[in-house]
Amino acid sequence: MTADSESRPSEPVAAVRDLHLSFDTAHGRVRALRGVSLDLHSGEVLALVGESGSGKSVLSSCLLGLPPESRRTTVSGSVTVAGVDMLHGASAQRRSVRQRLLGAVFQDPLTSLDPTMRIGTQLTERGVSRARALRNLSQAGVPEQPRRVRQWPHELSGGLRQRVMLAMALGADGRLSGPGVDAVFDEEGSPVLIVADEPTTALDVSVQAQVLLLFDQLRREHGCALLLVTHDLGVAASIADRIAVLYAGRLCEVGSARDILTEPRHPYTAGLLHARLELDEAAVPVPISGAPPDPLRLPEGCAFAARCEHSTSICGDSLPELCTDRSGRAFACVNPLAAVPGRAAGKAPAAVGLIAERPGSRAEPVLRIDDVHKSFRIPGSRRDRLYAVAGVSLSVPEGGSLAIVGESGCGKTTLLRMACGLLEPDRGSVHWTDGLRPQLIFQDAGSSLTPWLSIGAQVAERLRGEGSRRSRRSAAAELLERVGLDRRAAKSLPRQLSGGQRQRAAIARALASAPRLLVCDEPVSALDASLSLRILEMLAEIRDELKLAILMVTHDLAAARHVAEEVLVMYLGRVVEAAPAYQLFRDPRHPYTRGLRAASPTREPGRLAPTLRGEPPTAVGEPAGCAFAGRCPDVEPSCRERPQVLELLGDDPRRQVACQVAVRAVPA
Amino acid sequence: MRRIVITRIVSMFGVLMLLTLAIFLIQNVLPADPVRSYFGRNATAEQLEAKRQELGYDKPIAVQYVNFLGRLVELDLGTSLRTRRPVTTDLADFIPATFELAAASLAIAGVLGVALGLLGTRRGVGTGAVRLVSVMWSSAPTFFVGLLGILLLYRRLGWLPPGGRTSNTLEATSTGFLFFGRLLRFELAGVWDAARHLLMPATVLALGPSVAIGRTLRGSLRDILRDDQVRTARAKGLTERAVLVRHGLRNALGPTLSMAGLQIGLLLAGVIVVEVVFSWPGLGQYLDQSIDRADFPAILGVVMVLGASYVVINTVVDLLQLAADPRLRSQR
Amino acid sequence: MTDTQVGGLESDEAASRGQAAARVGRLSTIGWPERVALVAFAAVTVALVLAPWLVGAGELEIVDDPFRGVLDDQLLGTDDQGRDVWARTVFGMRASWFSAVLVIAIGALIGGAIGLVAGFAGGWVDTILMRLTDAVLALPGPLVALAVVAATGSGLRNTLLAVAATWWPWYARIVRGQVFALSRRPHVEAARMGGVGRVRTAVVHVLPGTLGPVIVAASLDVGAVILVLAGLSFLGLGSPAPAAELGAMTARGLTYLFNAPWIALAPGTALFALGVVANFAGDATRDLLED
Repeated sequence: MTADSESRPSEPVAAVRDLHLSFDTAHGRVRALRGVSLDLHSGEVLALVGESGSGKSVLSSCLLGLPPESRRTTVSGSVTVAGVDMLHGASAQRRSVRQRLLGAVFQDPLTSLDPTMRIGTQLTERGVSRARALRNLSQAGVPEQPRRVRQWPHELSGGLRQRVMLAMALGADGRLSGPGVDAVFDEEGSPVLIVADEPTTALDVSVQAQVLLLFDQLRREHGCALLLVTHDLGVAASIADRIAVLYAGRLCEVGSARDILTEPRHPYTAGLLHARLELDEAAVPVPISGAPPDPLRLPEGCAFAARCEHSTSICGDSLPELCTDRSGRAFACVNPLAAVPGRAAGKAPAAVGLIAERPGSRAEPVLRIDDVHKSFRIPGSRRDRLYAVAGVSLSVPEGGSLAIVGESGCGKTTLLRMACGLLEPDRGSVHWTDGLRPQLIFQDAGSSLTPWLSIGAQVAERLRGEGSRRSRRSAAAELLERVGLDRRAAKSLPRQLSGGQRQRAAIARALASAPRLLVCDEPVSALDASLSLRILEMLAEIRDELKLAILMVTHDLAAARHVAEEVLVMYLGRVVEAAPAYQLFRDPRHPYTRGLRAASPTREPGRLAPTLRGEPPTAVGEPAGCAFAGRCPDVEPSCRERPQVLELLGDDPRRQVACQVAVRAVPA
Repeated sequence: MRRIVITRIVSMFGVLMLLTLAIFLIQNVLPADPVRSYFGRNATAEQLEAKRQELGYDKPIAVQYVNFLGRLVELDLGTSLRTRRPVTTDLADFIPATFELAAASLAIAGVLGVALGLLGTRRGVGTGAVRLVSVMWSSAPTFFVGLLGILLLYRRLGWLPPGGRTSNTLEATSTGFLFFGRLLRFELAGVWDAARHLLMPATVLALGPSVAIGRTLRGSLRDILRDDQVRTARAKGLTERAVLVRHGLRNALGPTLSMAGLQIGLLLAGVIVVEVVFSWPGLGQYLDQSIDRADFPAILGVVMVLGASYVVINTVVDLLQLAADPRLRSQR
Repeated sequence: MTDTQVGGLESDEAASRGQAAARVGRLSTIGWPERVALVAFAAVTVALVLAPWLVGAGELEIVDDPFRGVLDDQLLGTDDQGRDVWARTVFGMRASWFSAVLVIAIGALIGGAIGLVAGFAGGWVDTILMRLTDAVLALPGPLVALAVVAATGSGLRNTLLAVAATWWPWYARIVRGQVFALSRRPHVEAARMGGVGRVRTAVVHVLPGTLGPVIVAASLDVGAVILVLAGLSFLGLGSPAPAAELGAMTARGLTYLFNAPWIALAPGTALFALGVVANFAGDATRDLLED
């Protein structure tokens, strides 16, 4: 899938030249972009990769000619699309470029469409005929287009809404008007560039893969360029021809996807690659040390120098320029990594994950859940109920670790809340050893901390009744240090900490109750790769030290692989596959698990083969047969009649699968 | 959708019942004795007792309430102590004048409010000024603005009349639909005269509500213009005007409407004061005179009419909101 | 009223986005206009407390001939009875200001208590209390207050109680909404999981979060309540006749509007000034505590 950069036409469809952008905040001036130059050629996918705060969204807004409107925004340099200056050109001209030649897809499909306007009106608003709108919808993979155009945004699922956004980006027909742009406008009325800002971040893994594939297909059909802005190198790897890595408002490295992913030259690119949690067994993730620089106080020299293992004394002196070496690689580093092919494959495959399996840990379960069911009333409906969890059993051994994996709506969070005693099951039982309650780590650490209490007070509160106030305070400080926070953090309010620090504080607070089991609800899904890896490492450490058991819920197979000894895969309130982690990822048996695995992005260039159709459904009513039958590639007629139950696969009691096809495939 | 509309209308009748109950309780439970005030200080005990029985005050309270409702259905609100006429007849006389004033005022409040809201979204120097003017306007008591208006526009400049509904002395105390009547009969000079008389009181009455409407509109527009959906609209190459009108205003309509509904409540209370200041022969003046004479049935009659209009108008606003936001329609 | 705290995830992402970055730090910096407004609010309060010692004449004292003009002998002349208009205006301001504060305090207390009970109790208690609140809100407050005062007979106490009786539902809604939202925030579940008792959770982890919105609403309401009270007083539903009350003074002055305009204009201007100070201070409080 990686195209050769040499064979490209010389004229780029979009060009960014020495772009600087700064704006004021209440705390000071932020320099969001500091001299970025970039070309986009027609027919290529350029992935712009960076962590939060790197300036990637600002750059994509500039390409649309819509730089952020803040107090005293100053812009210098140029951004041209199809020869039109998108920053300083006449506004009518810029607008007609947006109208005719540009498409845009944003992160959150829930908020990107106008809730008060029918889909059809939103599609035709820019002067597109109804026929063309219907065609765009069908090209974007939206079924039943004539019905959809009459619907309102809130009546569509997230995946469909993102496809509608894509259809909207797919250009217009007929009337080719607009000052100054007629010359470059192609007859088909296709856009020359689609800017997609984190277009799949809010979607489920299986839907993400479908949408990425669609992007890939559409740019081939329309021959347009695609700027794919993402924080995830895996998403970039799946369809990008070229990758540009952005750090603190400057490009670190630009090159073909294969080059970047297999032999990065800039230490930051390498760091991002190594920090990524991978399904690949050989990969041992290594976090980048330190934190991104404060955007208000950027250093004079290389912004990455403070975190860089390869930094030398000269790195801090001046900004490294983006230079192209003899082999055509462009990177901004005075002391780059050697160009050794295969370097990114990592060090020797010593361990499988962060958490090694403990052979003797299967003694006594700290948590046992037997056949729990939970359904909810659906607001506005008398009869229908949402069957969130429909008969799940599991146990977590003392000091063991179990991950529950599934997409949105599979019931994993409901199950977890029942495991903690925050919800009563309708049927079935939850049993904790010694009646000792597990502690819960929330996905959004910020909202799990009381906003007006200091971190220290919140940790110390859990120690009430033990010792003096002073001893409690020092115990709290110790706990904070144990999770990698400064003692002084005890005096801070939650909002004064960063996302990663808040999650550490929440873990410290949970540890104060001296639990035997820590239950984690997507504990790192809101964090950047390197940061989440560090939190997971810290959890692993604590688990070893304190002999804690861990139950983690996640949508990310890779995160599960790195944390859990055993994994359960859930679909529509049921467990479809259960297995020890190494087996599940080496040899998944349930078609759903296989589909999830295939859909998960990896850092392997151009590897994307989604097998899952459709979107995760809502568990309304009880299905007659297998709940997964509607999306299953291996479905047989009898699957729709008979409910599938977990059956042993081979003689390992931990290896179970709920699929007659998969069971049959194994020789008895 | 149909069910939602029915629910809203049923709940409107519920609130109307509550209003009647509140007025009934005020009339019957609170310390003031309506019978005593009917006769004045030097009534004999027998007279009082006879009147009590006649009006049914000796019955249990629930029975009294049912009787009260019964009389209400027959449009019997009792007899005014001051005019000695049925309160219903008095009200019917005064309602048209107040209706014209309130309607004109509402229209002005809407136009002014939208203008204020839109001005406030512009970037730059204007925003601060609009905010300043808004706060000043909403801080001024209507009667104070009315006085200033009379002193300036009548006394000093002589542009507008100081009060009343018309310059024609024969019709000076006219109570009917003066403005609309003349409009329908195409008496252009008459319409002009009536409009001149309406202008000042209606504008004064509209100031407070217009600021509130403008503020809500500005606030919600500001939030919406930051939203992704507006980013989408801009990325589609729509003009700023199209973005503002098609996406911004449309989305801001819901909150603005509900604020407008609330403001109508204040407007219906403010109309009383404004009528007093501008000698407008409507419900407000009638109420003011009734208060001076402690004319109880009349006071409660006016409150009942204005209160019921408020409840009905707010239900209409609720239903309009359904039309504005498709998401509300699909909820229960 | 929305949750005033920004969740962790949101604030992290906001920081990365240019457009939202300006919003993050508003808390720490409020501008000069806001500071001036807050100082003015405090200054007015102090000055009005000390009013009797700052003004030469009493509110009922007849100091001169009737209808003496502005600056003739007295600062703002005399009224139709020969009383000092300036002195009466200041006493009227005092009454207005503290009446408004009192009404809001009563309203916030009653409403807050109802909101707290509803929010914490949940279930049918919540349903009943909130239905009641919504029903009272559906009635036009100032009109009902007017009817109540008319029925109970005018007098400051009755007026204040009547207005407070129609004002509390706002606070009940705010407090209940806040308790409801906060109780569903993960931090309350975290407290529950950590074995923190029910009462302590309510007092330490929920209650403080309701204060901000209540203070903001209260400070924004001062101006509005001043106007409502003035309107009632203007119609003769405030303190009975001789007392110095701005609304009633204006109504009385109407008769002499063209000959002795100061009699009506002085109390009117005073009301306007109080409203401006209160409203600017309310805005400033909102900027300070929200976002």
